Amino acid sequence: MPIIEVKDLVRDYTITSGLVRRNKKTINAVRGISFSVERGEIFGLLGQNGAGKTTTIKMLITMLAPTSGTCKVLGYNTFGQEKMIRDKVNFIFGGEYGLYRRLSARDNLKYFANLYKVPLDTRDKYIDELLEMVGLSDRADTRVETFSKGMTQRVQIARGLINNPEVLFLDEPTVGLDPLGAETLRGIVKEANKRGTTILLTTHNMYEADELCNRIAIIKDGVFLDLDTPANIKARSDTKTTLEITLTKNPLNIATISGVSHVASSEKDGLTSLRVSCQSDNAISQVLAVIEPTTIKSFKNEVATLEDAYIQLVKGASE
Amino acid sequence: MNSKSVVITSMILQMKQTFARNMFKYCMFIAPILSTIILGEMYRYAPQENFIAFVVLGSGLWNLWGAIAFSSAGDINRERYSNTLSMIFSAPVDFRLIWLGKIFGNTILSICSFFISVIFAMVLYRIPVQVYSWGLLTLAFALTIVSFIVISIFIAYLLTLSRRTTLFMNCLEFPFILICGFAFPVELLPNPIMYLSFIFPPTWAVKLLRSSIVADAPDYMHILVWLLATTIGFILLSSLLYKTIFRQVKIAGTLDMA
Repeated sequence: MPIIEVKDLVRDYTITSGLVRRNKKTINAVRGISFSVERGEIFGLLGQNGAGKTTTIKMLITMLAPTSGTCKVLGYNTFGQEKMIRDKVNFIFGGEYGLYRRLSARDNLKYFANLYKVPLDTRDKYIDELLEMVGLSDRADTRVETFSKGMTQRVQIARGLINNPEVLFLDEPTVGLDPLGAETLRGIVKEANKRGTTILLTTHNMYEADELCNRIAIIKDGVFLDLDTPANIKARSDTKTTLEITLTKNPLNIATISGVSHVASSEKDGLTSLRVSCQSDNAISQVLAVIEPTTIKSFKNEVATLEDAYIQLVKGASE
Repeated sequence: MNSKSVVITSMILQMKQTFARNMFKYCMFIAPILSTIILGEMYRYAPQENFIAFVVLGSGLWNLWGAIAFSSAGDINRERYSNTLSMIFSAPVDFRLIWLGKIFGNTILSICSFFISVIFAMVLYRIPVQVYSWGLLTLAFALTIVSFIVISIFIAYLLTLSRRTTLFMNCLEFPFILICGFAFPVELLPNPIMYLSFIFPPTWAVKLLRSSIVADAPDYMHILVWLLATTIGFILLSSLLYKTIFRQVKIAGTLDMA
């Protein structure tokens, strides 16, 4: 039996505007998505802001009612059977909110341990272990409001693990974290997964998704564009090679070359940086021919990444 | 983990959080003094019986109401903005126990503001302590606290339904002070508003407190029955509405600001 089971899930929001004449508008945040997650899996939801990722997570953690469709966690409906789910799951939202900022990290964890019915005899020891794991043992008794963004996020992670959940939902957990902090978080996620926790993760960080997730769903405007393993998604991408080039002058006509699927360019310190997605060896040769007259400062070619596949899918859906 | 533990830890957390807020310190220490002066000047030439009933008790109740109900409503807003409302709502323990603990926390702190008002009024206007029955006054005060807690819970539940909490909580504070007779007898209100005021337990709580300080405690039992009836009525109403409200909260998605 899948740990998470979602079928034809729909969620609409009604928003009102206008002071005198109230205008109602319906926003279709999630439009009939279906997927399932098996025990022990790390499942990724990728998408732009407003794609429907957070709304999906909110329905899964019993915070929001679906408009229609099936939304089950551990075999129970997330709307109507919340009591059967809540002590076995937990969630972490990215950002600095979701904690009592005038309390210390330890007091926050003690309070949430109480709300998650953590036995009193093991609570304090477990909190010490969590604080050690997120590297906050020496600041455990300091008010959260004095913490940096990264430290606050680490308290959130400890809070999310307070009940040793069977399923952990992470909504952009590395937002605002420095590279070292993000790496620590990825380590914690892997460790929790190794201990048997099933994880559903949303992120904008493609490297993170590629490294952590067994399967990924790419969502846009509330609809799945693709759902598969990262390797299969990359393999399906038209992009075979990505060239990263730094030049002294921007050759404007690269995007028109047949076989070039995407060009991203940026200017800094008089130099032009290009990221060119090529679909064939012929396209690579033509790109090299075009840039030959300019001075090449650096050049790197790599096989297609998840980011290339993601951009292609999302841009393709927009067109 | 038992219910008592959830209530107590929520209460302690609330007191720590609340006392750290400068606005609450103002509500607790400064506002009682200001409201006592306003009422004291209004009733400066009133008979002493009215002065005790409407200045000493009135300012105390004004601040007690402000601190319990207004803070509890404000907490819904604060928790919604800090994204902790959705956290505690989605926790395995009953949300009602968590919120009861928070209101208890506010109540304990708010009782201080009541006594600051009372003591300040008595010292500033040199009012002698004259109470018909300390026993009846103590009972009335305890029931007043209970009635304020009950109505605060009811308001807090309703405020989870909308994100426009700030507007509603500001609309709630003064109308209750006016229609529940904190500052003047409800009998002075137009009839429809007077009858409306009889629905709310604080109206009867105020009457009961006043009855216990004047000679012979007229109508004490009659008022007590009405206070108990309206309080029980609001407890039943809150219990009946709880499931509907929190089902609607999940449908409308009003627990956070996103």
